[in-house]
Amino acid sequence: MTRPNDPLLQVRGLRVDVGERHVLRSIDFDIAEGGLTVLMGANGSGKSTLGLALAGHPRYRIAGGRVCFARSDLLALDATARARAGLFVSVQAPPDIPGVKTSLFLRSAVNAVRAARGEPELDAYDFLGGLRAQATALGLPESLLNRPVNDGFSGGERKRNELLQLALLQPRLALLDEIDSGLDVDGMRVVVDFVRAQRARGTAFLVITHYLQMIEALAPDAVLRLYEGCIAEAGGLALARRIAQHGFAHSAPARAPETVPV
Amino acid sequence: MDAARADILAARHRLTAQGWIASKSEAFRHLKPPPVEAWLGDIDEAPAACEAPPLAGAGWTLHPVGTRPSGSVEARWLDAFDAQQRAELFAGLPAPGDGDAAPFAWAHRALCRQGLRLHVGSGSGVGTAWLQLRRRPQTSVEAPLLAVDLADGAHCVLIEVHERDASGCSHAITQNLQAHVRLGRAATLVHLRLAMPGVADQWAHFVDARLGPGARYEQVLVGAGSGYHLQQVGLELHAAQATARLGSVLFAPGAALALRVHASHQSEHTTSVVDALALAGGDARAVVNAQARIAPGAAQAGVRQRLAGIPTGGQPRIVLRPQLEIHHDQVQASHGATWGAVPEDALFYARQRGLDEAQARALVIGGLAQAVVDRVLSDAEVATASGIDAWIAQGVARQLG
Repeated sequence: MTRPNDPLLQVRGLRVDVGERHVLRSIDFDIAEGGLTVLMGANGSGKSTLGLALAGHPRYRIAGGRVCFARSDLLALDATARARAGLFVSVQAPPDIPGVKTSLFLRSAVNAVRAARGEPELDAYDFLGGLRAQATALGLPESLLNRPVNDGFSGGERKRNELLQLALLQPRLALLDEIDSGLDVDGMRVVVDFVRAQRARGTAFLVITHYLQMIEALAPDAVLRLYEGCIAEAGGLALARRIAQHGFAHSAPARAPETVPV
Repeated sequence: MDAARADILAARHRLTAQGWIASKSEAFRHLKPPPVEAWLGDIDEAPAACEAPPLAGAGWTLHPVGTRPSGSVEARWLDAFDAQQRAELFAGLPAPGDGDAAPFAWAHRALCRQGLRLHVGSGSGVGTAWLQLRRRPQTSVEAPLLAVDLADGAHCVLIEVHERDASGCSHAITQNLQAHVRLGRAATLVHLRLAMPGVADQWAHFVDARLGPGARYEQVLVGAGSGYHLQQVGLELHAAQATARLGSVLFAPGAALALRVHASHQSEHTTSVVDALALAGGDARAVVNAQARIAPGAAQAGVRQRLAGIPTGGQPRIVLRPQLEIHHDQVQASHGATWGAVPEDALFYARQRGLDEAQARALVIGGLAQAVVDRVLSDAEVATASGIDAWIAQGVARQLG
């Protein structure tokens, strides 16, 4: 039985194995429609694993728990269906796709999602107009659109390209894994403004980052600290500030609560 | 007996005396050709043995490429059964010799009934000539000939199409094609070749390119497997500063396909690049054999061989053989062969953006093929204008079926 005010994403007791390792041991949290949660944690605590597991990467095996997304059982869907349902995951190191022009890749993706929604495909002319406008707004040179996906892109260009995809696909929930890495000061400002604008349109965010300045600018609804595969703490900006000041090593490991309401 | 008939009989006699390709031939070890009888056919077989295209086809046909200029081109269709025309057809072309593929050349001389000679001129005000050449088979066993000569300083984009699927005719075709390319001083030829045989066809295509000083030859081949399909390219870099670049994308979904390239560097500052991608599925056999020989005195020669094989399903056999033979100290040479799966991270990335499994595989595999083309062609505009992306899409669709 679902209720109108159910969260957009509800994660309960999620356990994920990678090979023989138990990377995520017990993950519980919620994200509301249009909400923004920040996920922090030391290197190796399982942040990226969480994102890739939610996205349905075949190397990440779900060992237990359940995930409800937009009132559907997310774990029952394959990677494509999760994306089409409105889950967007920006990975930390977006891969190259040799020989596939960025504009073609984006048009293929947008039209695949539109087709799944029963919407007509965009023709090349209409699509390219919107693509160029979005790229310009994100400070991405138009010439990159004619180059293979991420091929020879700088770190910052890869991240802006991720945001461009997000803007075109208009997901319900976007998970951004260290979107700030490789970005200069101007790029950080672009990210913050972009996320604010997307939130205003109703997109919810799970943002993985280490940088307090960005966290403060994003004004999250909740901050989570991941420790050894568990949500160890949940709080607000004060938690982020404490971690920034004292580091993860001095943040007391806490037993994972069964549920962290945020 | 006229001279043409005598020449045909002499070629048959030579083939009988020399024998067909030995079953233990190292050059053909991984993909043995059908027996000689398959390639000789019947020289008296009437054209248009089949009412359906393509056997009722016109042989070689020449077409413009959109609104692109055709330049200064002289084309002559020559009848190899006519003594005078036969002499003109074979004038200046090398004799079959006694190399490991010579039996194919003798079989060709014995069966060839028609050929096309193209001469591309140059001069003030003559820009790049854009030509499309289509081959429609005329008999079930045939031996077409093509000779392309570029004058000094001439520039040409030649799109050569061998395509069975569009025809609707189900007759198996055995085709022994010999193509001779001659580039004058500082001439450039971009040679885009589509070779899509029918499933049961047996094709052997031989392209022999001789480059003059400073000449540049770029060839892109998009080919698909069949009952037997051999593509062989010989590059004679006997003049200084000559450059040859070959990019090949081979689709072998449960069929046989072999590519052999031999680059002979005889002069200084010559360059050859071979970049090949073999995609094989089912029980296919795909063979890529790239050889380069740098002769003594070929100072500053450059050779690069990059061969890749990707199984797309089933249990195909992929053989990649880059080989270098270097007889000079001051050269630059690199070669490599890689086998691997379709990149998993790229597939997942595409699926995370909403493409389904089949769409993602087609996109990523098509991209790998396109990347070969992009690395070989010096002018990206040529790839766009010639529609190679459609050829690749056709090959990917055939591969992933």
